[in-house]
Amino acid sequence: MADRAVSESGRARPRAAMAPWLERLVLSEYLVFYLTAVYFLIVWPIVPQIASLSSLYNMATDLLPLLVVAIGQTFVLIVAGIDLSVTSIIALASVVGASVMTADGGYLAGSPFAVPAGIVTFLAVGGLVGWFNGWCCTRLGMPPIIVTLVGLMFLSGVAIWYTTGHTETSSIAGLPRSFVVIGQGRAHGVPHALWVALAVGIAAHLLLRHTVFGRWLFAIGINRKAAEVSGVPVDKAILWAFVISGVCAAISSILYTGRLETGTPVMGERILLDIIAAVVIGGTSLSGGKGKIVWTLGGVLFLVVIDTSLKLLGMSLFVVFAVKGAVILFAAIIDAMRQRIVQRG
Amino acid sequence: MTGGRRVALMALKNAPAIAFAVVLVVFALLSDRFLTVANFTNIVTQASHVAIMAIGMTFVLLTAGIDLSVGAVMYVCVAVLALLFGDLPVLVAFPLVALLGLALGAVNGFFVVQLRGLHPFIITLATLFILRGIALWMTDTRMVFVAEPIMSLGRTSYLGVPWAIWMFAGVFLSAWIVLRQTPFGRQIYAVGQDPAAAAKAGIDVPRVLFAVYCICGLCAALGGLVSIAQVAAASSTFGFQKEFPVIAAAVLGGTSLFGGRGGVVGTIFGAILIQTVENGLVMTNANPYLYPLVTSAIIFFAVLVDSQRSRILDAMNRRKIRVE
Repeated sequence: MADRAVSESGRARPRAAMAPWLERLVLSEYLVFYLTAVYFLIVWPIVPQIASLSSLYNMATDLLPLLVVAIGQTFVLIVAGIDLSVTSIIALASVVGASVMTADGGYLAGSPFAVPAGIVTFLAVGGLVGWFNGWCCTRLGMPPIIVTLVGLMFLSGVAIWYTTGHTETSSIAGLPRSFVVIGQGRAHGVPHALWVALAVGIAAHLLLRHTVFGRWLFAIGINRKAAEVSGVPVDKAILWAFVISGVCAAISSILYTGRLETGTPVMGERILLDIIAAVVIGGTSLSGGKGKIVWTLGGVLFLVVIDTSLKLLGMSLFVVFAVKGAVILFAAIIDAMRQRIVQRG
Repeated sequence: MTGGRRVALMALKNAPAIAFAVVLVVFALLSDRFLTVANFTNIVTQASHVAIMAIGMTFVLLTAGIDLSVGAVMYVCVAVLALLFGDLPVLVAFPLVALLGLALGAVNGFFVVQLRGLHPFIITLATLFILRGIALWMTDTRMVFVAEPIMSLGRTSYLGVPWAIWMFAGVFLSAWIVLRQTPFGRQIYAVGQDPAAAAKAGIDVPRVLFAVYCICGLCAALGGLVSIAQVAAASSTFGFQKEFPVIAAAVLGGTSLFGGRGGVVGTIFGAILIQTVENGLVMTNANPYLYPLVTSAIIFFAVLVDSQRSRILDAMNRRKIRVE
């Protein structure tokens, strides 16, 4: 078997073997962290202000909400699904949650329960949408990409329509101070959002690596039929993966909404492909069965560092687009190289 | 099989056609201007660019692939047409733009073939960003305009049929012939159903995969040409997220995302159905905020019915095996 693999790949690609250090680097699961560090060190002399405190702080505030939603996406990708509806969940949760709390005509304006109820509303919207996505993909047997693509279109329509019912302007402002502070406040220089993201990250890591549920997810992603035969409650596990993705999107929406101090239906509209790109650059496979929260952190970090550096370099929109595309393609090529090396044994 | 079950199966088999009929009846009852020839010409004209692109997408979906870059290809082609080929006669400029689309599709195809084992989703996501970046750089994120001969093309008709519909019909017929009447078409279905088995049967799988992405790029360019002739100007959001309605049209028409099942006849129905719904909503003076809700709900139900059909067919096959 091994011999055949060698001869086959040898015939297909008659090329010299890679240097061992390069091979080890390519195979390293933390490659994206090394790349981020190398990139940072290259850019540092060109734009010294990238290492300034305010720039690092900005990068952190850009990174945290993106990280939270990307963590949710990781769960769905591990079971070989995909959740394209996350940005619409962010938008819908933002406007529905804001409509509960807002001082101008909110359902609970002025009540001491406004903020807790608002937060529960965010989470409920995310959880319900995630549950519906999961239900369609399991009980109804629909393909996740189409279910969540329709969710993306439908929910963004609902978010806009909901907003028109609550305000004359395009967004819902007047949010209570104690809510806004979650997204933009900081204590001793540490943003509150960091604690939120840290809690989500640690919980997600523990769930994936140290619980039976986590094992189920990987088993389903590697071979769904085999998992089913071995007694894994496949449908239930996939359903929960989508619920987690929805709730993570809602938490990310809380952070974004706090930062903007308004609930707006176009929130997150343009970050959908960034979210999926970040998770995949980290090394999580689109075909399921492979993924880690730390990898997702690496992918998000990489994208944010590149974004920030290009902005500081004064690059225009087109360069940002093209570089992002090149980075994704690069990650794809690295992944393909890895598979070849592994196959060659 | 009981009679009731057979009727249910018939209904499931022709779900897109039934959905289409229901939509027609509902809007015809709601608006007396809806069911007219002029309005239908209008619908098909407006649907033509999405339909042309969705035909290309169908080829890719049949091999169990996906192409997210169609909107970006469309934008690059139109930007090149407006900025570089502005002075060329239409008969020279259009084939050049079509060739450019083919070449951009070939780039996708090259990477899909070279990076086998990696989902085309991620490759075409990358080319989406790169091509959109290139187009934004070319246009400097400003509005671009096409020359008068192209604009007037948008208003021309032959034999009373608008130019866009001729283009649409031409692309559809060629695609239908390729898929249904040629060995290459059968190879596409074979690769989509089981690439390993197709390779064993002697099909050059990489060549087929490369070709379908070229076709998809070509169709994206043609869709861009049809669209720009109608609107005459392209802003920096031209073709942005166009991949979503294009994929939706193909899937609505019954093409499976898992490859090997579907065809271009369903796809054009899908594209026209989406446009018919939007047109009907305008005709009945519906709240504009409801448009995306109604359109996406219809796509949802079409896919729901499609997936239930596959399940019922699977269940029936299983029972047969047990009886034997």
